[in-house]
Amino acid sequence: MNKLALKYLRPSQIPTKACHGCGIGMIENWILQAIDQFGLKQEDVVFGTGIGCVGRQTYGTWGGDNFGATHGRALAVATGLKIAQPDKKYIIVVGDGDAASIGTSHLIHAARRNLGVTVICEDNMGYESTGGQFSPTTPAGYVTNSSPYGMVEPSFDPCDIVKAAGATFVAETTATQWTQSVKIFKKALENDGFSFIHVRFPCNENFGAYALGTRDTLKNLEWIEEHTTGRKADGSDSDFRWETGIKHDASNSRPEFSKLLRDLQQRVQVRTAATGLGKGGH
Amino acid sequence: MGDVAIQEELVAPWGEWSRRYRKGRRLLEAGTYALTEGAIAAGCRVFAGYPITPATDIAEYMSKRLPQVGGYYVQAEDELAGMHMCAGASLGGLKAMTATSGPGYTLMHDAYGWSIANEIPLVVVDAMRVGPVSGITGAPGQGEFYVSRYCSQGGNIETIVLSPASVQEAFWLTIDAFNLAERFRTVVTVLTDQVISDMWEDLFIPDDYEALADIVVPRRHNYQMPFYPLNSSDIDVPPNVIGLGTGVCVSAYTHTEEGYDIEEMEAQWAQTYRLVNKIRHHKDQILRYEAVGLDDAEVIAVAYGAPARTVKTGVLEARRRGVKAGFLRLISLWPFPDELFSRDVRYLVCELNYDGQLVREVMRAVPDKSKVHFMGKSAELHTVTELVQALDGVVTQNRIPELPYIWTEVR
Repeated sequence: MNKLALKYLRPSQIPTKACHGCGIGMIENWILQAIDQFGLKQEDVVFGTGIGCVGRQTYGTWGGDNFGATHGRALAVATGLKIAQPDKKYIIVVGDGDAASIGTSHLIHAARRNLGVTVICEDNMGYESTGGQFSPTTPAGYVTNSSPYGMVEPSFDPCDIVKAAGATFVAETTATQWTQSVKIFKKALENDGFSFIHVRFPCNENFGAYALGTRDTLKNLEWIEEHTTGRKADGSDSDFRWETGIKHDASNSRPEFSKLLRDLQQRVQVRTAATGLGKGGH
Repeated sequence: MGDVAIQEELVAPWGEWSRRYRKGRRLLEAGTYALTEGAIAAGCRVFAGYPITPATDIAEYMSKRLPQVGGYYVQAEDELAGMHMCAGASLGGLKAMTATSGPGYTLMHDAYGWSIANEIPLVVVDAMRVGPVSGITGAPGQGEFYVSRYCSQGGNIETIVLSPASVQEAFWLTIDAFNLAERFRTVVTVLTDQVISDMWEDLFIPDDYEALADIVVPRRHNYQMPFYPLNSSDIDVPPNVIGLGTGVCVSAYTHTEEGYDIEEMEAQWAQTYRLVNKIRHHKDQILRYEAVGLDDAEVIAVAYGAPARTVKTGVLEARRRGVKAGFLRLISLWPFPDELFSRDVRYLVCELNYDGQLVREVMRAVPDKSKVHFMGKSAELHTVTELVQALDGVVTQNRIPELPYIWTEVR
């Protein structure tokens, strides 16, 4: 078994039930590399997930404390946890459904509050665990099982949203950018605030099969690579290109949310002591 | 011609608590204030919620009080977030509470299921107003009696729901709710209403909350497996904690005793056994009620929350006029106290809704459901005059006389 998996994960829970060629395990391996380079131990990290492919395949794999929230609510749960246990690192691994659709309001407000969590949005560009429907990150026009004539809605970039909301670290990578992703994850962990990394990865079973017409892992990775570089294998331009890399870095530029609350508490307690109102001072 | 001595009974821990704690202050305060102070006295240190009439004042009081006592107030982006934040805080080891009203209450059911299935102690206050939907924000209703029981996805749970009938009771009952939440590792709902939460009333508050240590169940932590004692109905199991490196797993899925997701019928059976029977097997420790004059009653008026106040006065007035009426106020609503309905007499069920909710449970629990009468009113309390007429009508003619704005149809 992979040495980092032995160090950080639960042997009984891996490999997961992911489909063949799924990128989720690979990205989790990259996250472990960043965690290891950052020098974190199992007990330093709380590992949180949501629902869908990413939630189901990563939940319970982490050797330390784990939670898997209901769909979209991982950041709401993490907000309460961070208040109660502020010294932990929170790694929240969610999909495009959790982050960019059903849970977007929590994502926005966690970014606004500068909640001290690292959110890794692993995006397979649709709802693949329910059989391959489009999501807000499915490229416009692409065929899925709920957009048989091509998706008519425009998609959006969750990085733009969290940046506008006040996230202090925002980056985007894809499944063909191993070393860049690890470096970025590590950089995200250095921010005592809200870090967001959007990682596109291929799904063979649904997005690959229906949008791209193939369940071949290499062909699906090649499609990711073409849209990462903007260039097809034959040298022609791809139909669009994702902007990858660090998109916004204001790491440690403003106070983390739970620290704001603790500072407030301290100010109030000093004032309460001065005015003579004690613990029962109703 | 009234009774010389009517038998009165309060079965609730605060009967004894209010005799034990005498040192404090008497205030004129609102129900929302009492709910807030009860929570803080019980050790609540996190409130996350979204303002909604008539529960807003709880959020405001909490925002002022929690920082004073070393706690945290979070104004969530919505009720979904609010209760999930509370669940997170409780998992992190802090007692937590949220408060809402009907339109926000329904949004919490996602978090209810997650918290109940994962045995996370929490207290939720629902200050009911009249519906449907937003209804009238400043008028009382009792439309969430069943919703508070079936408050989540997928069933396979039992719930604990308590309802206070005065500002003073709201204080003690909130401490009790926190205690039950800790002991049973579950969400306890304080199902109150606009009248009790907005009303200002005489309130005794102990001076020193630390002195309540004898009656407050402290937060403990479960440091080891099993994190979920499946196939067991044990209570007083310490809650799980995230952030202390126990390796606990908490999720939305059917789980093993480690918390791993599992898709097997036997595992679902074991989880359900735990969630249902830890409450059913200890119903006697949850039962709370007030009763007056049941022994000679030919008709028992049944109510909970604010309406119970005028119903009680109505029963006493009817007795003064010679009607053999009794009064039963439910404080613990769920698990439903079937054992209080063994008498084969007539029942007059008074509640603040027209569709009839509590009355259906009473019909199920009594020996003869044809003797159960429904007196539904909405947005306004029953008057004593109406109650006396109804009690008299039930005893003498086996029917409630026609009264404006009163519904008697159940079927």
